[in-house]
Amino acid sequence: MSSRADAGDLQTKQQTYAGAVFTKIYRDKITVFALLLLAFVIGISVGAPWIGDNVLGFSPTKTNLRMRSKPPTWANEAWPIFQEFTRTCNSDAGCDWSKWGAIFSASRTGLRGCFGSGLGDCHWMGTDDAGRDVLTRAVYGGRISLRIGLWVATISMTLGVAMGLVSGYYATTWIDDIINAIIMTLGSIPLLFLLIILSRIFQPGPEGLALLIGIFGWMGLSRLVRGQIFSIREREYIIASQAIGAPPLRILARHVLPNVSSIIIVSAIFGVAGAIIAEAGLSYLGVGIGPPLPSWGNMMQGSLGNFQNAPWLVITPGLFIFMTTLAIYLIGDGLRDALDPWIRQ
Amino acid sequence: MTRYIIRRSLQSLVLVWISTLIGFSIYQMAPGGPLQFLDDDPRRTQADVERLERVYGIDRTVAVQYVAWAFGEDWLPQTDFWRSGRCLNDAGSCAKGVVRLDFGRSFSFKGTPVIKLIAERIPATFTLAFTSLLISVGIGFPLGIIAALNRGRWPDNVIRVSTVLLNTVPEWWIGLLLLIILGGYLGLVPLGGMCTIGDCTWQSRMHHLLLPATVSAIGGWIGFSRILRFEMLEVLNMDYVRTARAKGLSQRTVLWRHVLRNAMMPFVTGLSGIFLMILSGSVLFEMVFSWPGMGRLAINAINARDYPVMMALFVISSFLGILGVLMVDILYSVVDPRVRYDRTVA
Repeated sequence: MSSRADAGDLQTKQQTYAGAVFTKIYRDKITVFALLLLAFVIGISVGAPWIGDNVLGFSPTKTNLRMRSKPPTWANEAWPIFQEFTRTCNSDAGCDWSKWGAIFSASRTGLRGCFGSGLGDCHWMGTDDAGRDVLTRAVYGGRISLRIGLWVATISMTLGVAMGLVSGYYATTWIDDIINAIIMTLGSIPLLFLLIILSRIFQPGPEGLALLIGIFGWMGLSRLVRGQIFSIREREYIIASQAIGAPPLRILARHVLPNVSSIIIVSAIFGVAGAIIAEAGLSYLGVGIGPPLPSWGNMMQGSLGNFQNAPWLVITPGLFIFMTTLAIYLIGDGLRDALDPWIRQ
Repeated sequence: MTRYIIRRSLQSLVLVWISTLIGFSIYQMAPGGPLQFLDDDPRRTQADVERLERVYGIDRTVAVQYVAWAFGEDWLPQTDFWRSGRCLNDAGSCAKGVVRLDFGRSFSFKGTPVIKLIAERIPATFTLAFTSLLISVGIGFPLGIIAALNRGRWPDNVIRVSTVLLNTVPEWWIGLLLLIILGGYLGLVPLGGMCTIGDCTWQSRMHHLLLPATVSAIGGWIGFSRILRFEMLEVLNMDYVRTARAKGLSQRTVLWRHVLRNAMMPFVTGLSGIFLMILSGSVLFEMVFSWPGMGRLAINAINARDYPVMMALFVISSFLGILGVLMVDILYSVVDPRVRYDRTVA
């Protein structure tokens, strides 16, 4: 009996690497939650046209000049009371907190009305300065922001891995020196300045912007890969394959790359989140993705100078960014543990 | 060590030179040429364009333009090939070159010298950047220590969770949100600017500085606390720490004498990265908080296609960045006796 149980145990331990990774992720509740959240964000971005037509009932680009900068429909009654409250706060009398009762009850009635309303009658998150529905635009915005995130991750990962592999393999030769010099140059100038200027000059579309962000975002990964290669390039199996005459490219691809793959995957995942935040910043400054195409950054740009009277323009895209990058960060964190063969569940 | 400092300084000089090359190429990359704003005027003629190109010297070869921009044109031969029209006619209006801090005149600010525009705004940017740096050390340092000493317990978890949460949204968005709530709705902080106009006292300045500096320090304090936590955990496992404990030293002595001293080194290296981050981020924070510094000037210049200002801002901010990294490297080599000055592996 006991020997059979031992055999069973042994069998479960004969798992493939991918299988072990999968099991570890499956048992990690937070990562599963993050994966579901990311799937939700990707789902609504891919399905944005359907959601726009059938759930929200608005177009992301159609303007409606009679509905400019309107509060959420459910807050039509509550918003003026809230503004009244903020006026008391800015006066000498101090905040009149008693108004919150009226604000809550008005929003409750409004929300009930919004749930019962027909298609296209309720702006859940208000409208922007051209009368477009903010929630619809935020749902569509994911298409741009996620696309940019994926492109940036691809570009900076490719560059970072290539540069890191080469400089690690040829460490302390002139090739390494050149790559280090590039990294040092890019590492000591404020890149946001350069990015802003370049994206103003070239006025790129989503892919072009991703290229710009990606070109300036590979240095960290390259350093990581170089350091890792440094620690493995004196290992016996590398020396052995050098001894049997394997060309450098083959050694890099067959023996070195698999050893650093988990770092690459994790850093690419974090790269997606970083790129989404970078795009938001550039578009907020008005040099990234230009309107009428909605991206989470340029939606907030519409709030410049008007943010007090239309906070929903700031809050909505920010919450979408938060949701997406939170999912990505948690997945990256979970994967880092799952991909590490030394950590057992 | 003197040799190391000299070599690093020379390296930095080369970097500054490279940054002037990049800065100058902005001028060349300008779509339709830097004088494209002339197209906005329907009455301009081809002759006008050519005359202005001669006046500004844009008709010269690129290499000559670079030399004139970077090193001045007053020492160049007095021919059309070498000098711009302006400089040929009046020796007083020759460009003195970036090396002598002459970045030309602004297109959009009615011909004000660029260096004057920037010099007016540098104090604002510096005030914000250095206050943020101080705040990020002031908050990040204790947080890192608390997290490391309580690893796995609730203080550590609270710090880690809030770190992740703060990292998942753009910091300027947090600033915008706080500005709306604290500034707009509750009236606790001013909505922008450096001080109340007409009442520029120090209290007013501090009041205006509080929110922008705290928000732009977020990235820094997260960075510092992470570095310090990681390093302290490494050091806490070292044999010499166990020895120090074993010979009966108090927790405080162990912490200050043995742990922190050794965990500080990477912290010092982190300084340069975080200084750069704050400098870079100043563009966004200055926009959010209407802070009258270099970042806002950059956005205005970009929107007005004011290339001389853009180039100057790029070169100057790169210079500041390079200088910051150099200073931290030198500080590091002074503080850490283990730094080797020859080419280090890994």
